[in-house]
Amino acid sequence: MSKSSNNEKVLEIKDVHAKIGNKEILKGLNLDLEPGKVHAIMGPNGAGKSTLSKTIVGHYDIEMTGGDILYKGKSIKDWEPEERALEGIFLSFQHPVEIPGVNNAYFLRTALNAKRKHEGKEELNAAEFLRTMKQHLEELGMKSDMISRSLNEGFSGGEKKRNEILQMLILEPDVIILDEIDSGLDIDALRAVSEGINRMKDGKRAFLVITHYSRILDYIKPDYIHVLKEGRVIKTAGPELVARLEETGYDSIEEVQ
Amino acid sequence: MRPSELKGKSIQELAALLHVKGREQLLEKFVSLGLPDKKSEEYRYVDIEKLFDADYQTLNYVPKPVQQSDTIEITDGVVTAAPKGLRIYNEQCDAIDMEHFDPLYYLGHLLSPNIIKIEIDGDAELELVHRFTQSNALIAYRIVLVNQSNRHATLYERFEEEEIEKSLVLYGYDMHIAQDSTLRIVKTQLMQNNRYAMVASHKINVAKHANALLKSFDLGGDFGLQLLKIDLDAYAHVEAGHLLYLNHASKRGTVSKIVHKAEHSTSLQEAKNILDGNARGIFDALIKVEHAAKYTKAHQNSKAILLHDDAYMAAKPQLEIYIDELEASHGSTTGQLDEKQLFYLQSRGISYVEARKMLVIAFANTLIETVKDSRHQEQIRSAFEEAFYAGHTK
Repeated sequence: MSKSSNNEKVLEIKDVHAKIGNKEILKGLNLDLEPGKVHAIMGPNGAGKSTLSKTIVGHYDIEMTGGDILYKGKSIKDWEPEERALEGIFLSFQHPVEIPGVNNAYFLRTALNAKRKHEGKEELNAAEFLRTMKQHLEELGMKSDMISRSLNEGFSGGEKKRNEILQMLILEPDVIILDEIDSGLDIDALRAVSEGINRMKDGKRAFLVITHYSRILDYIKPDYIHVLKEGRVIKTAGPELVARLEETGYDSIEEVQ
Repeated sequence: MRPSELKGKSIQELAALLHVKGREQLLEKFVSLGLPDKKSEEYRYVDIEKLFDADYQTLNYVPKPVQQSDTIEITDGVVTAAPKGLRIYNEQCDAIDMEHFDPLYYLGHLLSPNIIKIEIDGDAELELVHRFTQSNALIAYRIVLVNQSNRHATLYERFEEEEIEKSLVLYGYDMHIAQDSTLRIVKTQLMQNNRYAMVASHKINVAKHANALLKSFDLGGDFGLQLLKIDLDAYAHVEAGHLLYLNHASKRGTVSKIVHKAEHSTSLQEAKNILDGNARGIFDALIKVEHAAKYTKAHQNSKAILLHDDAYMAAKPQLEIYIDELEASHGSTTGQLDEKQLFYLQSRGISYVEARKMLVIAFANTLIETVKDSRHQEQIRSAFEEAFYAGHTK
């Protein structure tokens, strides 16, 4: 059980078992996310970090074979991916897919209006939406041609990650999962992306930062560090754990029963 | 009239059945090619015999007073409206191709002794609406289209029908694209099931240094086949793009033969096919490069996306080449929507149906965007969406 379990929870991952194909990756994973907190997931290659993020958002690769995931108290394990997104769960992909022919602005407006409709709000017209989008583009230091380009097509690694953050800023989700958001970013891009993420920290949203390296945690200060190994969270501690992991590696961490 | 009754008849018997006098050469060509059946090369992917077994009422093609309008309107094979000053004639066709591969090209001419001749002036941009109002009718008409040298004209073509059922339309162009000119034809046809079936059999001559830009957007259901024979003179160029989005049990597509007859002619043919339900798409395309057509460039490609396990694409791009001095390629692929792309869109709250629509339109967009006029682009996208939602619930 994680240390954060005593407080209010926005997402509760309870004894989750999940497999890809015939291989079980998550083997009884427990994790609670609190609103307003940044939870960092660290762990060696193959520990199940990306599988965890895919399981939360309902990826087609994943078969959940046990346990449950509660979002704001409701089980979401049978929800379609779009239902999870509409309710406020967002995954920033490690490798955002390119979709030639789908205009970036059109895609984002469709996504935002789907969410607004779901929430009973009026849909934004093209002009209203473009104003919002341009403002966020400036904040993220993105070029305005992002509006007219095809979704992620020909984007550099940094542009793709900034585009993920742009989507996050526009969709304003309640649970934000950042899967290796720092991979492939130079220092300027890392700073811009981190600033975008930090702008979303309003004390209400929960963040799950999945990372190999501690570098991103210099920019996005975590409240909790969870160590994931062989499909389970084996340790949860405060940010001080990062320094120990840097020094001694994951092998030094033993599971707390 | 039951078209199947024309099968296996002699020239004299056909002349009597079709009420044709003279025109022996046409009758001879039709008899030699024979009424298409399931064994016919060009019609083997469609149930043409079923269409020919039905009994159709025949129509009288008497010219009517032509109303002034921004668009050319042809109602049940008769011109009913046209822009002021546009030259349109009803007359005998004096340039029928005697080497066409399609028997229905000849049947169309036999059924339409008088063609509708449209002369396009200058750099005109015209719209043509084909309208069908008769049920259980055989609607047969042919159009001769000519433009002027050194001019660049565009014709946008679309189809409308009333609440009719089970008609058969046989129409087609004899198109003469003048030297040093460009003629751009953009056809959008959204068909609904059981209204009418169509066979459009065209012949297009592209003169020296002329450009033919042919875009067809065939959407929706029912039966439809366009058969194109395109002859290219020296330095002539054809760019043909065919978009197919079919739903339900539709069977539609393109059968074409592009003939490079002289040197330095170029052809570029691209088909994009999206097939839903148990639809069948057809792209049976031959590019022939004759001995005199040195330095030809000929490229053709077909890509298909199957949205359903029961959908089927019959893609057969072919090259027939008699020289060495040329550049040529052809290819064909069939696949499904990319799961990763679909999931990415869903993960942002976009529904499964909407995500599929976005991806199929994205696939189609490279062809839609070749239409220069943005208003017509929007019309095509709108027709596309209508066809898409006919098979999906929002």
